[in-house]
Amino acid sequence: MERFQLLDISGDAGIRAFGKSIEEAFINASLGMYSLITNLDEIEKKNTINVMTESDSLEGLLVSWLNELIFHFDAYGFIGKKIIINEFTPSFTLPPRGGGRGGGEAYKVKASVSGEDFDPERHESKLLIKAATYHMLRIEKIDDKWEINVIFDI
Amino acid sequence: MINKERVIMALENLRRIDETKIEVPIGYKQGMRVNGIIYVDQLLEKELEAQSIDQVANVATLPGIIKSSMAMPDVHTGYGFAIGGVAAFDLKEGIVSPGGVGYDINCGVRLLRTNLKKEEVLPKIKDIVNVLYTEIPSGVGSKGRIRLGPEDERKLLIKGARWAVENGYGEAEDLEKIESGGCIDGADPSLISNKAYERGRAQQGTLGSGNHFLEVQYIDEIYDERAANSLGLFKDHVTVMIHTGSRGFGHQVCTDFLEVMERAVNKYKINLPDRELACAPYESPEAQDYLSAMRAAANYAWSNRQCIMHWARESFMKVFGVSPKKLGMTLIYDVAHNIAKIEEHEVNGKKKKFIVHRKGATRAFPPGHPELPGIYRHLGQPVLIPGDMGRASFVLLGTEKAMKETFGSTCHGAGRVMSRHQAIKRARGRAIWREMEDKGIIVKSAGRGTLAEEMSEAYKDISNVVDVVHKAGISEKVARLRPMGVIKG
Repeated sequence: MERFQLLDISGDAGIRAFGKSIEEAFINASLGMYSLITNLDEIEKKNTINVMTESDSLEGLLVSWLNELIFHFDAYGFIGKKIIINEFTPSFTLPPRGGGRGGGEAYKVKASVSGEDFDPERHESKLLIKAATYHMLRIEKIDDKWEINVIFDI
Repeated sequence: MINKERVIMALENLRRIDETKIEVPIGYKQGMRVNGIIYVDQLLEKELEAQSIDQVANVATLPGIIKSSMAMPDVHTGYGFAIGGVAAFDLKEGIVSPGGVGYDINCGVRLLRTNLKKEEVLPKIKDIVNVLYTEIPSGVGSKGRIRLGPEDERKLLIKGARWAVENGYGEAEDLEKIESGGCIDGADPSLISNKAYERGRAQQGTLGSGNHFLEVQYIDEIYDERAANSLGLFKDHVTVMIHTGSRGFGHQVCTDFLEVMERAVNKYKINLPDRELACAPYESPEAQDYLSAMRAAANYAWSNRQCIMHWARESFMKVFGVSPKKLGMTLIYDVAHNIAKIEEHEVNGKKKKFIVHRKGATRAFPPGHPELPGIYRHLGQPVLIPGDMGRASFVLLGTEKAMKETFGSTCHGAGRVMSRHQAIKRARGRAIWREMEDKGIIVKSAGRGTLAEEMSEAYKDISNVVDVVHKAGISEKVARLRPMGVIKG
């Protein structure tokens, strides 16, 4: 299965990511985002960071998760190549009602991300991704496949 | 439906007010409290995006909005608020929205003049571009030359460009020629998250990437001789323009407060047509905290441009072997084009304070305004409008009409017409740097894709944008600047 595609958006950059599960779609959206910054083939798994984030909606969780990865890149230069999600709450067997917004439910993701520090001498410089946004954000389950559309501010 | 069809349908519901502006009437979208006004002539009307018209209408639904939801001729689709948007809100009934400022808080422009003439610089332009590229960190993953300890960073957030001057970057006399003196009051470093501190630690004094740049230019056309002379701008003289903002620091502040505002929208039961318009009542702690944090980010940006200017002066000194003073490298002005400020404006014959959001719009205060430094008070505020790297940039002056019509605001740049992806496709098989060099413009960029994305064709023609604000009378053209050397991230 195709993991992600580039979205053509005037002024900015976006990713459409796919997954058989919500976890897989989150991982593919993250790898799609990293691939906007650099060529992932050049990145090695040298060290691992743990990332945890929470929100009160599924959209909020995705934005907050991606912003967490952006933070680790922008502050410390860390680019991930492999992502393992250790915990994802709640677990989805059915599509979330109303996009999963509100209702006071706690959404949480815990993951370990392996990769290395970006080196402008060795790694290709593509886009400087600065934030994940809610602009045209979509998380949907279509038949048995999850699809995410997310736009980044650059 | 494709954009063109949607725009044609949208335009049927809009009304042309005069040759420079159209009205988005109340009722265009449900819940509009005021109308929308878009400054475009018939030429730029063709480049309007349906989505940006919707965004102008959406902003008109926000509580406490005064007069109109406005957009400048460089309008294009943003997050929540359109880029090129101006909106003022009442301090009692109104709101504050991070989306009305943008992610890159105090993204802005500064312009330096020199005594050097085009002919003196041309033979050395390659050297100058190379030295500037070495001295000024730019691009993805680049680290600045300044490392801020937590105490330094806190001081910088309060003092803005003054911090830079105190630490040896530039001169004290630079400060009066910066909007707000390079330091906006009311910044509170205690409201800044650890993440923002971490992102800001190594990014002070860096240009960044995307549309940010440093450009060596020459003045090729003067429209207002008297004003140009007063500003120290003469035909064929060389100028240096810097376009950048608050880098990762400002983005983190915006990201952090969008979360706070998301909760505030529920708490204060504000009805929004778009989630990116997240906001809070002006008087709420959420809005006040955001403004205090935003001011800290604005100060970070003013200091950033001050440091970069200092290294630009040093670079010229290295190449020409004389001091920046001898080269006459003085600051003309520095403007913020992503910011929210409390300002006094006259509405319905009454002077009152409002919170004015400018997102991709430049302040354009008229002659005599008390916020202007003494040297420019008789002239009006210099307005600096960068174009794309192949065409031109402009210096204008603020006007009384801007004060009356647009809360003292005007356009901020060219605005894209092509997505980055389209631009890369269009540039495939072409060497953009060589095309630029053939036009006499030397470019150097850290990212391989940046030049393709930033090529001229990807942008509206800045001259058309500037002509609209000039014709509308919300600022007046003084001089046109042509690029000679460009540093891109």
